[in-house]
Amino acid sequence: MTQRKRPSSTQSSSQRRHTGNLVAQDEDDDVTFTQPSTSQVQRGLEKLTPAQVDQKTAEVVQYFLVKDQKKMPVRRADLVKHVVKDYRNIYPEILKRAARTFDQVFGLKLVEIDPKNKMYILVNNLETPDKASPIRSPSNPKMGLLLAILSVIFMKGGVVRENLIWNTLKKLRVDPGEKHEEFGDVRKMVTDEFVRQRYLEYVRIPHTEPIEHEFRWGQRADAEVSKAKILEFMGELHEQDPKTWTQQYREAHSLPNSSQASTSSSSSSQR
Amino acid sequence: MKRSKGGGDEEAPRQNGSASRRKADQQQSDGDEGGSDIGPADLQDDDNDQGLRREIRSKYRDLISSVQQNREDMLSPSNNKLTEVLEEANKLFKDVRQAREAALDAQLLVVATDLGKEKASQLFSEGTAFDPTAFAEHLLSFMGLNRLEDDEDEQQTTANGYLPQDAWHRLARRAECCFRTAPSFHYMMGSFYAEPPPPKQRIERQRKAPSKEAKRIMPTQLKKMEESQQEATEKEVERILGYLKSYYQDDPTSPISYYEFVIDPSSFSRTVENIFHTSFLIRDGLARMYLDEEKLPCIAPVEEGEVEAGGSTSRKQCILSISPKIWKELIDAFDIRDSIIRPPNKQND
Repeated sequence: MTQRKRPSSTQSSSQRRHTGNLVAQDEDDDVTFTQPSTSQVQRGLEKLTPAQVDQKTAEVVQYFLVKDQKKMPVRRADLVKHVVKDYRNIYPEILKRAARTFDQVFGLKLVEIDPKNKMYILVNNLETPDKASPIRSPSNPKMGLLLAILSVIFMKGGVVRENLIWNTLKKLRVDPGEKHEEFGDVRKMVTDEFVRQRYLEYVRIPHTEPIEHEFRWGQRADAEVSKAKILEFMGELHEQDPKTWTQQYREAHSLPNSSQASTSSSSSSQR
Repeated sequence: MKRSKGGGDEEAPRQNGSASRRKADQQQSDGDEGGSDIGPADLQDDDNDQGLRREIRSKYRDLISSVQQNREDMLSPSNNKLTEVLEEANKLFKDVRQAREAALDAQLLVVATDLGKEKASQLFSEGTAFDPTAFAEHLLSFMGLNRLEDDEDEQQTTANGYLPQDAWHRLARRAECCFRTAPSFHYMMGSFYAEPPPPKQRIERQRKAPSKEAKRIMPTQLKKMEESQQEATEKEVERILGYLKSYYQDDPTSPISYYEFVIDPSSFSRTVENIFHTSFLIRDGLARMYLDEEKLPCIAPVEEGEVEAGGSTSRKQCILSISPKIWKELIDAFDIRDSIIRPPNKQND
């Protein structure tokens, strides 16, 4: 592994600037960024030393890791603007190397969850364990809540009205109208945080008065969460064979990559 | 466009010919709402019958609002309310003559079809149905709900029992099996609690007292015996130094195996004491340990002037451990018959 020096001061300050703008998702889209061609990338690489390219790759890796702490997706525009900067002419190469680093060093996979808006997340490349880990590492209770919500949505066919979710949560002693001991502002967490993390989608249903929304699985959930495992869990809870839910079973086991969105391959495809 | 007087008719922006007439009518009658009956003395032909038009529009609006307000009710598969609404709308439509009414009819249709789609999606599951209520109950059990059995609970709707503190954590741990979440990146130095690193402390303690019992016994006896034990230790250390030197003197060239030196084949506890006392020699720079060609530990006294006691030469620390099993193995391996260090005169055994 190459020596990873501390990021230069400009990069860390821009990181700080960027984390301050975390809420403002409408950062100016770098519309001028066009994908450089393979020959352009080649020429760009010739002008740089391997150390420089490695350094830039390392910075990209670090950027992703930090952004991933909050599970916020990374936009290509931000990446180019804040990290890649002058090296944008070799952007595909850098991303390719970063993906390789994630795979070989961290066991993570760089996944493009939104081909249109060019957004990326990191996903665990290792096999999910069959049972809960025997190591008592601190767990995030929000994941429990998320599992409950995603399960209901999946078992109900992929779309549910928000009231169903709120009512189910109330039965679980989590009232979106009140401040919860553990989760705080539940409504905000579910409709804002989980949505920004791309675990859920919260869309308005047209023609409803008063306004109602529906929930669907988000792009990150599609990439990270295994429907088959959820169905297994349902089977355990209800003491039934997962196959009794025929439609859900079919959906969970139809595609081999049913739990993964399009992956970023190491070839220099359009990124 | 909102009219200033009287109720209703807010949605249609266009005024057709009859509007001005109606306005005049409204000013005549006493501010009736849109839903009231045919106003007095303004009946024209059926097509422009203002009262009838108003009535139709009002009925449409009622239908629309009833669909919107009673959504849950209409969704229930146990009734046909939605069909009734549509039948009602069909009847109304026969009398529709003007664009405004038709617009309301279209609006009702949109609202009703949304509901219809909703109802259709309720028929989703072939196979076993999924009931969120039952799911919630099972989940609560999974999270470790303690169901109280008190009869004071009058309302069955309020929750029975309480969830343990770690309820959601239990679910989160189960979730780990279903999620391929990338573990969050943190610098390791941030994840330790602020306590001094244990190994270093352990080494220091071990250096002075490889056998814990000896360490523990020493301080308490120190207090009681007014340091006579301390002197005893010093004497013992001196004595052992004497053995080491004389043994070394006999043959300065041949290295002394550390194990042969400290082990007493007849007593494990004395072996441990020997190790303990020998460690003082090393600590004070009076003896040194090294590894010979076969990587076995050897010990030798330090020539005077070679190393200063407590000096700044590079020192290494190591931890020695020995168990009766290892002790026996060493005796066999090195074929130790006699102890080099003669046991002390029995004082406090």
